[in-house]
Amino acid sequence: MSDSLTRRGTAADAVAPRRPAPPRDRKHRTARIRSTRRRTTLVAFAMLAPALVVLVAMRVVPLFSAIGLSFQHVSLATGETTFDGLANYLYLFTDGNFYSMLVVTLVFNLILNPVIVVLSTALALLLVQHVPFVGVWRSMIFVPAAVPGAVVALIWSTALQPDGLVNGILQSVGLPAQPFLTSANQAAFSIGIMVTWGALGYWMIFIIAGLKDIPASLYEAASIDGAGWWRRLFAITLPLLKRPMAFVLIACTVGSFLLFAPVQILTKGGPNGSTNLIMYDIYNRSYLLGDIGVGQAEVVVLLVILSLIVALQFRMMKEDD
Amino acid sequence: MRRSRAATVLLTTAAALVAVSVFLPLWWVFASSLRPGNTYVENMTPLSWLAFIPIGGDFTNYAALGSGAFLLGLFNSFLVAGLTIVLGLAIAIPAAYALATMRFPGRGLVFSFIIVVAMIPFDAIAIPLSSLFQQWRLSDSYAGLILPALANGFAIFVMRQFFMGIPQELIEAAEVDGLGRFRTLWSIVLPLSKPALIGAGMMLFLSQWQAYLWPLLIGTSPERQLAPIVLANLSTQFTVDLGQILAGSFVLSIIPMILLLFFQKQYTESLSTTGLKG
Repeated sequence: MSDSLTRRGTAADAVAPRRPAPPRDRKHRTARIRSTRRRTTLVAFAMLAPALVVLVAMRVVPLFSAIGLSFQHVSLATGETTFDGLANYLYLFTDGNFYSMLVVTLVFNLILNPVIVVLSTALALLLVQHVPFVGVWRSMIFVPAAVPGAVVALIWSTALQPDGLVNGILQSVGLPAQPFLTSANQAAFSIGIMVTWGALGYWMIFIIAGLKDIPASLYEAASIDGAGWWRRLFAITLPLLKRPMAFVLIACTVGSFLLFAPVQILTKGGPNGSTNLIMYDIYNRSYLLGDIGVGQAEVVVLLVILSLIVALQFRMMKEDD
Repeated sequence: MRRSRAATVLLTTAAALVAVSVFLPLWWVFASSLRPGNTYVENMTPLSWLAFIPIGGDFTNYAALGSGAFLLGLFNSFLVAGLTIVLGLAIAIPAAYALATMRFPGRGLVFSFIIVVAMIPFDAIAIPLSSLFQQWRLSDSYAGLILPALANGFAIFVMRQFFMGIPQELIEAAEVDGLGRFRTLWSIVLPLSKPALIGAGMMLFLSQWQAYLWPLLIGTSPERQLAPIVLANLSTQFTVDLGQILAGSFVLSIIPMILLLFFQKQYTESLSTTGLKG
């Protein structure tokens, strides 16, 4: 703020005559500056107001409403809410289904997100090379990122049918047809495939941007020193890609925890709870079972898990720097 | 860096192979959507080249979609996404401009607030918000579908970063010339900001076009349903016409693809802007 005063002062000096102003005049000028400053502040907040209002109403209010409702009992019959203390949380944490859902969600994420980061980095390394038609190849890989998540689910549910594309290809190379979404062992894997397909090209963009920020002089120096491709990859590229890769890991993890459309459209959490990811479980409890309070407690659990993951990953990033 | 010819051939082959296999399912969706009804399965076992080359296909599935609820859903999706772009930009631009060019107490705080709020994942709070929307009598309305997407902190962030790159002297000169703050924004700054406007517009559009959970929660009656919901409902009917599902999937995918084809540069630049802060 002191910085803003001096800046404004210099701007005014530039138009004002160069000699020192008499004391009365200076007092006058500070008053004028103060009133312009107040006007600027007012105008600025008027310009910010619509954005701040929607952000508060659409993000902050529901956040606190979820926290509030998680301590309430919501009557199904009347919609009346009564304070219920920790009852919703106690209910969740003594519910065996809640734990199996947590395990399914965590295992799914622990496998899926690293796979996406590694694959999108590999793709970025390949597609940052100057090869013929590289723009075309890049666009072809990016295109699935434009497909809406619900449509990704519909496309893959068709492709994974017993007589769909994937089984057609498997059988044409002599492999047996697979049940995919209808098998408790393969359903989560199938959802992982469709998510990866829809996400790779998107995250690849961030890694390519990171690769382009690496100064070419580093590579030149390394090749003069006789470093081969692998050596350059591990000594220069990957260490300098840490930031974009960490960003992708964080953003991708948050996205995968929020995965909903494929589960709701294709498996409804089954077979046997094998795809019962947290977002679907929340939806199921709040809407299909009508247990709003418990649903909101689970929203709070999800938000806590997400904050912990983001904080942890940020911290690992800082330590590495 | 110099590379041997063999290496170039190898890299190109690898890039082409990966690209084709990632793209293949989408191409298959298009080819199969041209086979009437469920007849596309005839080319699946054994897999025939006709599965990928739609010779002898027709537009039966598209015609069937065009006469059903899907067309109305598509219209609603366009309406909602279009209004989201216009209103979203109308909200984000002044906010970003104030943050980028004006000096006032609390600016840093407001900016941090916007960034922190933008990081709240919307889908996680969509379920509590939908209960609130019922109380606010906003469910089953276009306003209910549009409002949450207008709170897009990343659009503000992208615009602000771009505005900060515009030389301050240019803005001051325009204001000294008596152009006033809003005229300067409208006739000097915005024409210079097309890349950021397109990038932020694309973000707003895609956030709405890709939405599924929110339009599902807001519980709209059939005449206000968005296309993905219509298509997903169609897929859970007792007798599913998968050809129609594939045709609908193709329509919903090709629209953002065409936009990205034109605006890929601006969109990816905006994306990497938001990634920089990570």
